[in-house]
Amino acid sequence: MFTSAQLHLAKVFLKIFLRNRQSIFFSMLFPLIFTGVFFFSGGPSDPIKLGLVNMSQSDIASQFSDLVIAEPSFKVTKGSLVELKEELILGDQTAIILIPEDFTFMEDSSQLSLILDASQVRQASSIQETLENSLLAIERDVRGIKPMFNLVVEDVQARPQRYIDFLLPGILAYMLMNLCIAGSGFNIVEYRRRGILKRLFVTPIQPKDFIVAIILSRMVIVLAQISVMLGLAIMLLDINVVGGLPSLYGMVILGTFIFLCIGFFLGSLAKTQEAIQPIVALTSFPQLILSGVFFPISSMHEFIQPIAHVLPLSVVVSGLRGITNDGMALLTLNSTTVGVGIWMAISFLVAIKYFVWKEVAN
Amino acid sequence: MDSISFNIKAGEVYGLLGPNGAGKTSTLEMLEGMNDIDGGSAIINGMDVSQNSYEVKKIIGVQLQANEYFDRLNLIELLILFGKLYSQEIDPITLLEGVNLAEKANAKPEELSGGQKQRFSIACALVNNPKVLFLDEPTTGLDPQAKRNLWQLIKDLNSDGMTIVLTTHNMEEAEYLCDRIAIMDQGKIVAEDTPQNLILKYAPEPPQAALHGNIEDVFLVLTGHELRD
Repeated sequence: MFTSAQLHLAKVFLKIFLRNRQSIFFSMLFPLIFTGVFFFSGGPSDPIKLGLVNMSQSDIASQFSDLVIAEPSFKVTKGSLVELKEELILGDQTAIILIPEDFTFMEDSSQLSLILDASQVRQASSIQETLENSLLAIERDVRGIKPMFNLVVEDVQARPQRYIDFLLPGILAYMLMNLCIAGSGFNIVEYRRRGILKRLFVTPIQPKDFIVAIILSRMVIVLAQISVMLGLAIMLLDINVVGGLPSLYGMVILGTFIFLCIGFFLGSLAKTQEAIQPIVALTSFPQLILSGVFFPISSMHEFIQPIAHVLPLSVVVSGLRGITNDGMALLTLNSTTVGVGIWMAISFLVAIKYFVWKEVAN
Repeated sequence: MDSISFNIKAGEVYGLLGPNGAGKTSTLEMLEGMNDIDGGSAIINGMDVSQNSYEVKKIIGVQLQANEYFDRLNLIELLILFGKLYSQEIDPITLLEGVNLAEKANAKPEELSGGQKQRFSIACALVNNPKVLFLDEPTTGLDPQAKRNLWQLIKDLNSDGMTIVLTTHNMEEAEYLCDRIAIMDQGKIVAEDTPQNLILKYAPEPPQAALHGNIEDVFLVLTGHELRD
């Protein structure tokens, strides 16, 4: 299947990578940071710091006050309006609830005041919902009534519903794209500039031997990097790959192939190391936005959707998401797997056809 | 290139001379299958280079002007790699001994001196035991000791039957090494013959008899003939 020259060259590329400790360190840093960010941001949020000024002497006011203090999403400080206002200005409080003197009637709607600092108004608006819900619950408790409705959200296939479950396959695909394009595109420009490719191609090897060798070696490296990320995600973020790890790895291998070939093409397009960077940015950044990494393609403008659906990153994201979240198998024949197949053929053909090993005249 | 035509006999050392931009390296690269030939043909060992470039590459060895290799690999690893590219198992130490670099076997190319790099570059070109060896300005930038050492290496390879084609700016080198010389200018071959015949034809007046050696001889007497790197 592979020639001994291809296998040996692949082994050499792997050896070169493994001897570059700095590159190993940084390639493992991204998965660690990514999982770390989600792991530490996933816990319960800090309680809202609330100042409470009770001007009323009524029983109902003190009962209300006790319930506000007991509410777990608030950290309540009781005090005078003057003191608490100072703390609010200093940022020690997020808001102050003022229970007015005439807070007596249970039947009529009594007015509560919420005092905010304008500089923190954006933060306060984001917590307003929590505040209103908590006040509503307290009011129900004080009035002794039970809620009439309770909304429970359930997925029709009992799939994972957290944002991280949606995001992870997208980030995996995006990481795959970046690792691969850097591994082939940037390397090839550098090897060409230094005349290393020219030295290789005075021997009887062909572009396809070189491309296959880089694909084989990068495949090993990328699979190791993806495994670290996936392992951490499964252990720390409780990610469940519904379609099974073999299918997921299969799709990662196909995606690696596509992106490495695209990297070769971009590396042949760029004449210099300075040119490859904007060319890669121009290729990867629009795909990051359009390929459904952070939000579904169906939420985009109708005009852009047909284009977004056929991008290489989109088909890989969709493939990985189908396997991770929807339990699809790798070999299921659908528009995604057909898209992956088409991109594999296109990218390999352009990589070989346009492969440039000589120095390119400026 | 402008309608050039020449023959190189098996076992010959053939020199391409000419000022910068004369077309020496382009000619060499056409013979090596690295540059397209848009008119005419180049035949090596009975094979047309344009049609069988991969077959031709199997029987030639090439030393380029630029000597860059993959990072983080030592000389042994690089030689084994080049051997594999010809699908051959090689003995790297024997090859390194042949170019006087056995003691540097575990060094990386960037740790070598200029002369050592050139000798390593020739070792890389010899991994497939080629019929024809192409050398592009092999002694440029070398000190006299390293240059003389490389000349001896080229002589030895040739006496073992290897055909050698080289380009050079060094006239003394051409005269010393080459059986025949082609002088190129502006893409054409303006003269081709043995060094002796070329001298008789174009510079027939004998030079004043040298009573002494030249300054390079002085340099070598004072600093010794042995290699310094």
